[in-house]
Amino acid sequence: MTLLTEPDNRTAAPRARSVRSRNFALTVPALVLLVVFFILPVVSLLLRSVMEPEPGLDNYRALLGSTTYLKIFLNTFSVSALVTIVTLAIGFPVAWALAIMPSRWASIVFAVLLLSMWTNLLTRTYAWMVLLQRTGVINKTLMGLGLISEPLPLVNNLVGVTIGMTYIMLPFIILPLYGVIRKIDPAILQAAALCGATRRQALTRILIPLAAPGMVSGALMVFVMSLGYFVTPALLGGTANMMLAELIAQFVQSLVNWGMGGAAALVLLIVTLTLYAVQLRLFGTARMEGR
Amino acid sequence: MTAPFLHIRGLRKDYGIVNAVKDVNLTVERGEFMTFLGPSGSGKSTTLYILAGFENPTAGDILLNGESLIATPSHKRNIGMVFQRYTLFPHLSVGENIAFPLKVRRWGKAAIDARVRKMLQLVRLEGFEDRKPAQMSGGQQQRVALARALAYDPPVLLMDEPLSALDKKLREEIQHEIRRIHQETEVTILYVTHDQEEALRLSDRIAVFSKGVIDQIGTGPELYADPATRFVAEFIGDSDFVTCRILSAKDGRADLSIGAGASISGVPVHGTAVAGGTAALMLRPERLSLRREAAREGTSGLSASVTDITFLGSSIHVAAAAPSGETISVRLPFGHEATSGLSRGDTVSLDFDPETAHVFCG
Repeated sequence: MTLLTEPDNRTAAPRARSVRSRNFALTVPALVLLVVFFILPVVSLLLRSVMEPEPGLDNYRALLGSTTYLKIFLNTFSVSALVTIVTLAIGFPVAWALAIMPSRWASIVFAVLLLSMWTNLLTRTYAWMVLLQRTGVINKTLMGLGLISEPLPLVNNLVGVTIGMTYIMLPFIILPLYGVIRKIDPAILQAAALCGATRRQALTRILIPLAAPGMVSGALMVFVMSLGYFVTPALLGGTANMMLAELIAQFVQSLVNWGMGGAAALVLLIVTLTLYAVQLRLFGTARMEGR
Repeated sequence: MTAPFLHIRGLRKDYGIVNAVKDVNLTVERGEFMTFLGPSGSGKSTTLYILAGFENPTAGDILLNGESLIATPSHKRNIGMVFQRYTLFPHLSVGENIAFPLKVRRWGKAAIDARVRKMLQLVRLEGFEDRKPAQMSGGQQQRVALARALAYDPPVLLMDEPLSALDKKLREEIQHEIRRIHQETEVTILYVTHDQEEALRLSDRIAVFSKGVIDQIGTGPELYADPATRFVAEFIGDSDFVTCRILSAKDGRADLSIGAGASISGVPVHGTAVAGGTAALMLRPERLSLRREAAREGTSGLSASVTDITFLGSSIHVAAAAPSGETISVRLPFGHEATSGLSRGDTVSLDFDPETAHVFCG
């Protein structure tokens, strides 16, 4: 085996370089597209944040100096964190179940998951409004059963946002977690059991540490996506817990203040990139070592 | 009479309509090295998995020191196991892997450290404590798995083809290690393999599995010299089978004839022998002697014609066709006088001691 592959490797090295440069040439159209339609608008928005209404960091000073805006920042982070935790708590058992269930059943569950992802976001969010509102299905059922006498406030507040966003984010955590958990040999858990580990010990000491890279990358993706989410918080949330994306929309649409909007967007971008760097740092190399 | 150390009684396991284990009965003594030998699908691994608690039997019981294990979940059985696949915890170091069963048993730190050191010494991997499993070879990983399985002094150690992923040379090396560790620790081992050589090399006794039942239990020499079924005869050692006719049978011995040859008397018989019926006569290549003449009256042998001669270093392998057309192999030491000048087509007489041959009926 090794005898056969070794000379191959040696000839592959120079070839790889030319292949790489040829492949790079193939990406140029895509790069141009990216620069024109994605990077340029972002850069111009960021420029406006330091140029409008006049050059300087006034926009940032206003944004970070006001308790109203800071509260929105804080709210954005706490809602995102809450959504991430709930998504993880629901997503982990689902991913685990998917990994161990017969593949025929797993593919049905995947179809349902993907179908929900492909359905229009607005439709899905309105569907939750129908379910959650004061006269919605959930409140009516609970009242009909006599479990509650007053409708529960499930919408236009934190509860509504959390439910709606968790639902939307679930596939983003289930899919990477499923990939990681499926690679874990069930015999490793059998070995843990024979070593004397209870189910809980096998979960906390073996399964969760082994699934950690998937959990972190999934959680980070959900957290970052939640930070910038607009539709669901706008429809299911209340005015008391406005999120950053809503604030940016307000600056741009209602107040036509591109400077403040750009500043808020840049703060969001910096936070996102920082988190991404932290994840790469913590798990980018660790994951390679594990393999 | 005291209860046997480990007693498997009437064990049966069905998967839907598939009957993986039919009826397994076995007793194992403390400290014994017992091997389950059989082809894949013979029920040996399923039996081991029931012992480990990964499968529940459809019927039957397993008693350890007279107490049933069936209702006890895996993690409370206190049994050690080494798997076919590498099952070290990949995120833990070698030392942490060995310490894992001790930590869940809430041992003190000093006791764990001492034990881990002792186990590493036992499997001769001192100094590997901080390595991750991925940084070790397959053989080393299985030795760590062995150390982890023995760390908590289990009364029984299960081994499910632990060497099947390793190459031949490494396999033999670790077989020696396992023998040494068995002698040092005196742990009772139940070992599953489909490799007869491995079984013979390691075991005190071997249980030969076939189609969900144990065909025969015995020491290696017992199984070789006195196989109870044709399957055991085929599985342990080399053997050829020649169709013969039963002339008469009495007290476990039969008189028989091969083709038009003379009658051979006093061959141990297995199964129900019916006079006039046909049966299969087992001959082992190393227990035949070869004479360069047609079989004579009064000797236990048959005439055959040489079809092939192969030089194998220390031995010479002669293939010969019996009158019925069946091929019989003879193994002779290099330099044996009968082999000099022997060529294809020669008629030879293959003689054997009736006591060492066996006839299988039905």
